[in-house]
Amino acid sequence: MTDTQTRGGFAGDPAAALTVTGTGGCCGNPPSEAGNPPSQAGNQLSETAAAALPGAGGPCCGTSAEATAADACCGTSAKAEAVSAGAGCCG
Amino acid sequence: MSAAADRSAATVGAALAGLLDAVSGERMAVTVTALASEPFTGRRVGSAGGAAARAWLAQRLADLGASVTVEPFSVRFVPEVYATPDVHWHDGRGTRRLAFGRDVAVHLASADQPLIRRGDLAVAGAGDPAGRWLVVPAGMTLFDAYGHAHGAIGLLFGRGVDADGWHYTMLAGPNPGPLPILTLDTATHATLRAAAETGGGWLAGNTPIRRLDVAAANLHGDWAGAGGAHLLLTAHYDGVGDHPGLRQPAAADNGSGVAVVLEAARVLGSRLPGRARLSVAFLDAEEAGALGSAHHATQLRRAGAAPLVVNVDGAGNLHRAAAVEAGGAAHGLLAALDQAGRYTGMPLVAGPVASDNRRYAAAGLAAVGIGAGMASYHSPADTPDRVETATLDAVARLVVATCWLATADPATLQSLIGD
Repeated sequence: MTDTQTRGGFAGDPAAALTVTGTGGCCGNPPSEAGNPPSQAGNQLSETAAAALPGAGGPCCGTSAEATAADACCGTSAKAEAVSAGAGCCG
Repeated sequence: MSAAADRSAATVGAALAGLLDAVSGERMAVTVTALASEPFTGRRVGSAGGAAARAWLAQRLADLGASVTVEPFSVRFVPEVYATPDVHWHDGRGTRRLAFGRDVAVHLASADQPLIRRGDLAVAGAGDPAGRWLVVPAGMTLFDAYGHAHGAIGLLFGRGVDADGWHYTMLAGPNPGPLPILTLDTATHATLRAAAETGGGWLAGNTPIRRLDVAAANLHGDWAGAGGAHLLLTAHYDGVGDHPGLRQPAAADNGSGVAVVLEAARVLGSRLPGRARLSVAFLDAEEAGALGSAHHATQLRRAGAAPLVVNVDGAGNLHRAAAVEAGGAAHGLLAALDQAGRYTGMPLVAGPVASDNRRYAAAGLAAVGIGAGMASYHSPADTPDRVETATLDAVARLVVATCWLATADPATLQSLIGD
């Protein structure tokens, strides 16, 4: 691991994980923008990425709520936008 | 805290500590290396390598004493680049071959064109497209490009590459359209656009890509419980698969997650408090749209089952914290995860984990997804040597502790963590 860990658990309210609003990409957390490695797109959560989570603008796959509503991995509108842009998208 | 609670906490703490001590990062590293090895060919859904990986994992689960079952399902239109694209271009002075995977890749929306087609370069939306390869300007959508492409040989899109210079491979995306389409790294794309604008270049290339209807299968391991809680650990074992002449080992995505779940199952087995039931699902076709988890979630819903789901996608390169996304009635599971993070020293942050956990959540199950990073993704650079053993160890300890705490007596938990 690259950083020394000093404290475990959630820094804030664990329930925030139920209302994730960022778009870490499609299934498997691909980069949020072409050219950005996934390490900057949510999974590793650099400070920049973590700060950008609410409303972050990857091409896919929408919010988890949208994905749930669509019974899919991706939100319907996010998928349509991703397909229109020729980007990969799941579900 | 009462004396009785103190004793109870000490007992539980000792038991949990013993389980955590049994977690072996080295064992998981061996698993990742095996899953990323050449015989498994990157584990694309429906491939012989995927089936071989599934058989290998089935034996590992059986070795751990699990009752093992395989649940087949079908997947349609899985893209496969079936030959190395042969692409070269001429700038007016000389000819340069473009390296597959680095300079050029086949776009998911591409038509299958096995034959090399040569034509002058032009910019989409400027001039006569007939008989030419069209360089699509950045920002122009695929559908807009089609509108400018009457009679064109094909389209050339620019796309960023990863830090190692590789194109990302995706399996889920737009359906094939009417034209051959290549993606170029952004520098090559800019160079070809400049050549197209001066009218001095040509490109010759093919797009050997096809769609396959394939047989997929989830792999399940189950340790019988005695009623009460039911925990389901999941990780997808499929990858995007090797290309011809280009290995894509899928070590972090998601050999690492599979290794974590396998190790957690080895440690936990039938040892959960209250003899809670433990199940493992190694899921297929996540890269094709999380279809394995969709299939499994539907099965669970029809059966009226409601396990607590913990999905791991990426346990290769922890940076500052592991991302956690939850869905369904997961407050209790999140509380256990938070306590497990504090107990094991793993920092957690709410963040997107767009993976199989979303399918279970969509089915109404309490589900959390955990992502602890990948040094590389969907490319030849996703190799076992870039999966950190320390991250595997930390995530496995987190998962083991979460399962344990989620099934332990709540009163004991409070004492254990010191709240």
